[in-house]
This record gives sequence, structure tokens and C-alpha cells, in this order.
Amino acid sequence: MHKTLLSTAILSATVALGGIGLAQADDFPSKPLTLVVGWGAGGSTDIQARVLADILTEELGQPVNVVNQPGAGGGVALARLANSRDEGYTFVFGTSMTITFGPLSTETTYGLEDFRYVAGVTLGQSALVTGEDRPFGDSWEDLVAYAQENPGTSYATQTALDRMIIEYIAQQEGLDLRIVPTAGGAGMAPLILSGDVDFGYSGGTHSGYAETGEMPVLLSLAEDRLVAFPDAPTLQEAGYDINAAEIRVAMVPQATPDSHVERLAEALQVATEDPRFIEITEERILMPVTYLPEAEVTQTLTDQVAGYRALLEELGGLPED
Amino acid sequence: MTRKNFWSGLGVSAVALLLLTWVIPTYGGGGFSFGLPPQLLATLGAWLMLACALALTLVSAIVLRRDGEPFIALPGLDHLWHQTWPFLYVLAFIVLIDRFPLTWVAPALIAGLLLILGERRWHVVALTAALPTAGLYGLTAHLMRIGVV
Amino acid sequence: MIGFDAILGSFAAAFHYESIAVILGGVLLGYIVGVIPGLNRAVAIAIAIPLTFYMSAYAAIAFLIGLSKGTAAGSAVSAILLNTPGEPSSAATCLDGYPMASSGKPRKALKVGLLASVIGDLLATLLLIAVAIPFASVALKFGPYELAAILVFALVFIAGMAGGSFLKGLAAGGMGIVLGTVGLDPETGAMRLTFGYAELMEGVPILPLVIGTLALAEMFVQLDEYRRNKGASVIKLGHQADDDLSYREFKTTLPTIFRSTGVGAFVGALPGLGPSVGAFMAYGLAKRGDKDPESFGKGNPKGIAAAESADNAVIPASYIPLFGLGIPGSVSAALLVGAFMIHGIQVGPLMLRDHPEMLFTLFSGMIVASLLMLAVGWYGLRIFAKVTSVPPHIVIPVVIFLCLAGIQVQGYGTFGLITVFVFALFGYFLKKFDYSFVTFLVAFIVTPMLEMNLRQSIILSGGEIGILLERPIALVFVIATLLMALHLGWSGWRHRARRRATTNHAD
Repeated sequence: MHKTLLSTAILSATVALGGIGLAQADDFPSKPLTLVVGWGAGGSTDIQARVLADILTEELGQPVNVVNQPGAGGGVALARLANSRDEGYTFVFGTSMTITFGPLSTETTYGLEDFRYVAGVTLGQSALVTGEDRPFGDSWEDLVAYAQENPGTSYATQTALDRMIIEYIAQQEGLDLRIVPTAGGAGMAPLILSGDVDFGYSGGTHSGYAETGEMPVLLSLAEDRLVAFPDAPTLQEAGYDINAAEIRVAMVPQATPDSHVERLAEALQVATEDPRFIEITEERILMPVTYLPEAEVTQTLTDQVAGYRALLEELGGLPED
Repeated sequence: MTRKNFWSGLGVSAVALLLLTWVIPTYGGGGFSFGLPPQLLATLGAWLMLACALALTLVSAIVLRRDGEPFIALPGLDHLWHQTWPFLYVLAFIVLIDRFPLTWVAPALIAGLLLILGERRWHVVALTAALPTAGLYGLTAHLMRIGVV
Repeated sequence: MIGFDAILGSFAAAFHYESIAVILGGVLLGYIVGVIPGLNRAVAIAIAIPLTFYMSAYAAIAFLIGLSKGTAAGSAVSAILLNTPGEPSSAATCLDGYPMASSGKPRKALKVGLLASVIGDLLATLLLIAVAIPFASVALKFGPYELAAILVFALVFIAGMAGGSFLKGLAAGGMGIVLGTVGLDPETGAMRLTFGYAELMEGVPILPLVIGTLALAEMFVQLDEYRRNKGASVIKLGHQADDDLSYREFKTTLPTIFRSTGVGAFVGALPGLGPSVGAFMAYGLAKRGDKDPESFGKGNPKGIAAAESADNAVIPASYIPLFGLGIPGSVSAALLVGAFMIHGIQVGPLMLRDHPEMLFTLFSGMIVASLLMLAVGWYGLRIFAKVTSVPPHIVIPVVIFLCLAGIQVQGYGTFGLITVFVFALFGYFLKKFDYSFVTFLVAFIVTPMLEMNLRQSIILSGGEIGILLERPIALVFVIATLLMALHLGWSGWRHRARRRATTNHAD
């Protein structure tokens, strides 16, 4: 790896020269940047990232290229970013779950402390959902009562995180659930709509059914109630002390100089005020735009990881690899 | 063909045995599951490989013996080399692509192989090497905007 | 419900020269990208999405529809001419397309493929328009039990067409099963056979696998043969006398096309199966139903027709659950969801109420795109058929380069390159020792789907097999699978016995 060696040499030189190196970095960005998306082209993260890249291009005065590196639920892109010595010229736009719960549920080559979280720009809208005309209607309390009386009530899971949450809830409420694995929103939707499964996790698929009412929300997994389903309580309101809120966040490697991170954060803040980004996110993808500065995102993510760890321990210990 | 069947059957059986005895039990994953055990399908697949390959080996061995053909017929070294070098050539370039962008390496990759295959007209070599490379550059740097790969 | 004149109006809009120009642009871009070995729809999408930001909603969607059709047809061209499918689903087209093209009839092969794909596509589009929305909910009757049963049926059915050697075909299927289980276990979350590579977490990436086993391996085989008959070209120069498609010959493939379109439309309407399953099932059906199954895999036009018509019928049919229920049934359906999303339209059952004009313009746009595809393909094949007259020593280096470039362009990185190389070695041995690529690939594609649906069935039923009695459709497929297995065993035995009787020589 000649290039890596070379940049490592430059990096150590920069560290050795201290302030001089940082002063030189002030003209960031002086070459094109790369925005990596951990998902395939055409998905909602990808579409959002491309609008973001257009705005950042104008803001930073350098082209921002969008590169897709799909795999492992965004994990492949992060694994590669962790090894990047690109000083912020390459950054990943992705969802917080990959970095908070990913390293807890699977073997990963990266962890929370390998990155800096430049800024959060969007809040996720994941939820526990059900279908129409169920015996328990569309209220969470009635579902819990129903499931307590009917062992074998079925739940469709998509991610390791929602599986852990539902296992915790089942333990708290004394439920005997049949937990069915599904592949993504497109795998979950038919099972919920047909009534084969009683309720399930949904990342954002339910937003598409907000108007028809075919997929009512039982519980919001975001910090606040969902924009499109204001009647459904949040996890905390229902009495579970879990913060599973998803944040879409821009990440750079830990070794990125402060001045680069600040410049990127400034540009991202402008982007969250740009009508194009707000329109695509709030009106099309149906997720609220908020600007969360680095300190706040990092704190939230650290708290979440601690919370998940505690939860895993309560459920029978961390799966030590 | 029968001899080939015999040896390939033997090879596949060996791989299947390795899978069954070591790879799948060690790397196949575990954990409690209500549906299917994680290793079940892989194990079934490996058993299928083993059963079919063993049967193939057995049938071919019987035919070889009955026809009195030798089990071993080594291909010449020359032959073997001719089958191996293309793989080594591509592998060497994969190592290069790991270090340098493909766009820089590509002309050498194409032109080198053309020369080995006996093309001596320089304009053909130059054009064949340059056009696809230029196409790749245009595609990545301008159309897809992902930078030079 | 939308008025009839509104439907007519939307058709008029689709035939307007501006929209024709946009669709043509999409078809051309898709076709050109698809024709280049190693590049496929994902690349075309990455080029197109930034462009669509600046188009009107209708133009963007029309453009992407054109693009989708263009890449499908283009990837069939490289599948037929160079054995390098751009999409995994075109692998079925290679089986007869490549032998036919390399025996000196590239134009005939391309024409059969093009006509079959356009017919399959048009018929499935008409089906979508006629029955889609009211009947979409039928797809919900196919839950995990039914899908699992159908997948087992498909697996046994396709294993039956392993070809030359049944044992080697099954062994290759076993390899496909083992590789198909690689990745994150959906139930326990355990890593299976990933050896610590995050890249393998979602399974062995299918594109490097297909490009390696088919395209790159073929180039190594060609290199070997080129050396043996240096001077003489591997792919015949020029064209044979009967390198054109007569109407009579085309007529004989029509029944195959209609039947395969039916298979493709059925598979497409069920969410989650996808074009590869459709294409291989149709191919198997055509082979099984033919008087001369031995001629398949050696350049039988019916093989091309079956694979192409089914492959292309799957895509419009996969829009049935999309517009009826909001469930994207295929990659290209998911792509449309994204395009609609950019323009603020939620895809789903409400489209008919809220944006009927959009829905019907979309349908008419699909028909226009098919017709344009026919025109572009018809002229394109005249040009591309000439690829076979380029000397192999020029084709081989360029195709090797394109295989590697396709992987780099799509962001697989060094891991992808190594995957391609490993599978090129694997494919080389499959070819040299005559193991079936079909059973390998089908087992690889079907295994993860089957495992998921089987799991869901077992968990939902609590492990009771009696549930099948409540699911008649699943029961039918289970019985059909058993009958098929018995039939296969019986006919294989008889075939063998007959051969032994005539030649008195065991295999």
C-alpha cells in the first residue's frame, strides 16, 4: 500500500510539526471530496446523499462525488472509512444504527471511537407497526394485553437492534412471541399486509401507508412521536427506558484535523437550512431535518451504546466474540 | 472424459469432506434458533456434493478399470504453463490495481496481453489500449462522478 | 376511477415527441451501458439519478423506464455475443445464446433474443394495465409457506435440467447451496462462512460471482483455445449463410415465448422471487417440454426465447404488487420507488386515486419504451453482431479489462477483484470438467430466499406441518414437487436403462 504509507508518513510529519501542519490544512478543501453511501444507488439514503452532495459542492467550492459502497447494512463503508487516511476528504453519510449497534451485534473492525461525527442532519422515523383490522386494533396497550393472552403472537424483525428491543419488551411484559426474520421493508410489508404476522418493525416503509391507514403505527422508536403518526406513543411514553432514535449522520475518521471537521460541519449546517434538502427529506422521504452539532451527536450516540450494552446484559450477557 | 470425471469427483469429495469436518463446524455460525439451525443448509449442500462426487468417482473408476485405461495421465509441463500464465497475468494486475487506479494500469494490462498474443501492429495495440481506458475515464470522472478508479 | 378520455390523454402525452425523446434517451443510455460487458443497471442508475433531479416528474420516470428496458436488452446482447451477462438474470440467456453466436449465427441469436424480450415485456405490461391493481391483493395469498413451496419446486425442477451428467449437476448444485448460505444468519445473527470479512455479511456478492464464473472464466478458456488453434479464430469470422431469422423459424419459438411470458409474469407478480428465478424456470420448462431436450445448451433458439421473454416479463409484472400494494417486487421496482420519491409521489395503492394521470402515463410510457427498444435493438444488433468478427486476440484483453472495470466502477474494491478472480478459477474448472453452471447459479440464488421463507414458515406455524392443510396453494406445490422428483428419478432411470441396452456401455 504505497499510497497509505506515503500518507501515513505525511500524517506523522504533520503531527511532528504540530501547529504548522494544522495551519497548512486551513485551505481545506483544496481537492474534490468523496461522499460515501453505505447503500445501493436509488435508495432513500442515496437520494438524500446526492442532494446533500450538490449543496455541499456549492458550499465548499469543490466537487463532492457520491460513491456507493453497499454491504453489511452500511458496515462495509464504515470498515473502509476507519482505515482511511484522507483527512476528511472522504466521509460517510449513513445511519447511526450501523455504528451504535453494529459493533455490539456482529464482529466489526471498527467501533464508535474510530470516527468523529461531524453532524447529524436527519432524524429517523422507525416504528413498530401492525396491519388493518387486527383483533387488538392499533393501540400498543391492547396489543400487549392481546399478546399476554395469546402466546405465539408473531413479530417481524429486520435488524439485530429491533430484535433486541422486542426481546427486552417481551421480557418486561411477560410475552411469548414468535419472532420472524424478514429481509428489509419489502420483505416485511407483505407479511404485515396479508395478516400472516401480527406486528413488526419498520424503518420507514409505514410512511408510505400513512394515508391509507393500511399500516398503523403502534409505537414510535424515535425520540419524539412520528410526524405522520402523532397518535402513537414513543418507547419512553410506553414505559420502556430505551433510546433507539435513528440519526442520519456524516462521519469522518477519528484522525481528521479539527479545522477540516469544522469546515465540513459549517457546510452541513448550511445544507440543513437549504430548501432543496429540506424538501427532499421532509416532504419526500418524510423525515424531519434537524442540525445536531458534533458534541451533541457524539453524546447521544455514546449514551445509546451504553444503553444498548446495559440492555444486552440484562437479556443475558453480551455475546462475546 | 472418464479420467477427468474420476479426478474431479475425487477433488470435489475432498473439498466436501473438508467443508463437513472443519470449515462448516468452525465457521458456520451457531446460536439458538427456532427455525433452521444456521449450519443446516450448508451441511446439506456439502453432503450433496460429497454423495454425488463419490458416486461419480466410483462409477468412473469402474469404467476406467474395465476399459483398462490408466488412472494417471499427466499433462505436459508446457501445457500446464499455458493454462496457468493467464491467471498469473490477471492476478498480477489485480495486485497493481490494488495500489494504483485501474485507469492508469489499464493500458498496460490491455497492451501487454495483446503483445503476448502476437499482435505486432503498433497502431492496433495503441488504439485497443487507449480507447477502453479513455471510456473508463469518461465514465467514472464525468458521467458517474465517482472520481478516477 | 379515471375517465376513459383521461387514459387516452395520457397515451397521447406518452406519444408526444418530447416524451419519446426522453424515453429514447433512457433506452439508449441503458442499452449502451448494458451492452458493455461488466457494466449493468446499477452503473446506468448511478449515471441517471443525478440527471433526473433536473427533469419533471414525468420525464424522470419515463427516462428511468427507458433505462431499465435498455439495460435489460443491452445485457442480453453481451450475454449472447461474449457470454458476459450484465445482470445475473441474463445468465439463462447465455446458455443457448452464446453457443449459437459462436457457431456463426450471432445475428439470428440476437434477433430471437430481442423479439422474445419485447414480446414478453409488452404482454406483461398489458397484463399489468389490465389486471394489476384490482388483483394485486392476490399476491398476498402467497405468504412464506407458498413461497417456500414454490422455491423448493423450482429447485427440484431446475436440478432436473442439469444436462449431460446428472451427478455432476447435483454436485454443482451442492456447491451453490453452500455458497448461498454465506453471510449473516437472519435468525441468530451469527456470521456464517464469512471468515471475518464485512463484505461477505450480506452473502457472496452476486455480480462478481457471475462475472467471474461466466465472463472472466470464458476469457481464460478462450485464451487456452486461442493458443491451440492460433491462426484460426475461436469465434468464427463473418456470418454463416443462414445467419438471419426467417419468419418460419421465428414462428416455432412463439409458443415458447408465450409460455415463458406466463412463467415470468407469475414469478414477477409474487414479491421477492425476481427475474433470475423466472428466467431459469422458463428455460427449464422449455427444455423439459421440448421434443429434443438435448439440443438445449447448444444453440437452440427456443432456449434464448424462453430466457429472454421470461426475464423481461418479470419486470412489468413486478410492478403489480408495487402499484397495487406498495411492495417493490424487484430491483427495478425499488428503483422506480426512489424516482417517484424524488418527485414527491408515494408509490402504492393511492396512486390510482391521487395521481391517476401519472399512473397511466407511466403505463403508456412503458409501451412506448418497449417499441423504442425494438427499434434501437434492431439497428443495434446489426452493429454489435460485428463484434464476433473482431479477432479474439483483441476481444479477450478488452473483455478482461471490462470485467475488472465493472467491479471497480461499482465500488466493490479490491475485495471484489479478488472475488472475481477466485470465481474465474472456479468457473474455469466448472467448464473444463463439465460441471453445470446452471444448477450452481440457481442453487446459489434460491438458497437464501428458500431459507428465509422456510424459516418464516417454521416459526409462524410453531413447527407444525399440519399448517399445510390450511394453505392449499402451498400444498399443491409440495405435491407437485414430490411428483416432479419421482418423475425425474423414473425418467432418469429409464433413460439410463435404454442407453445401456442400446450401447451396452455405461456412462
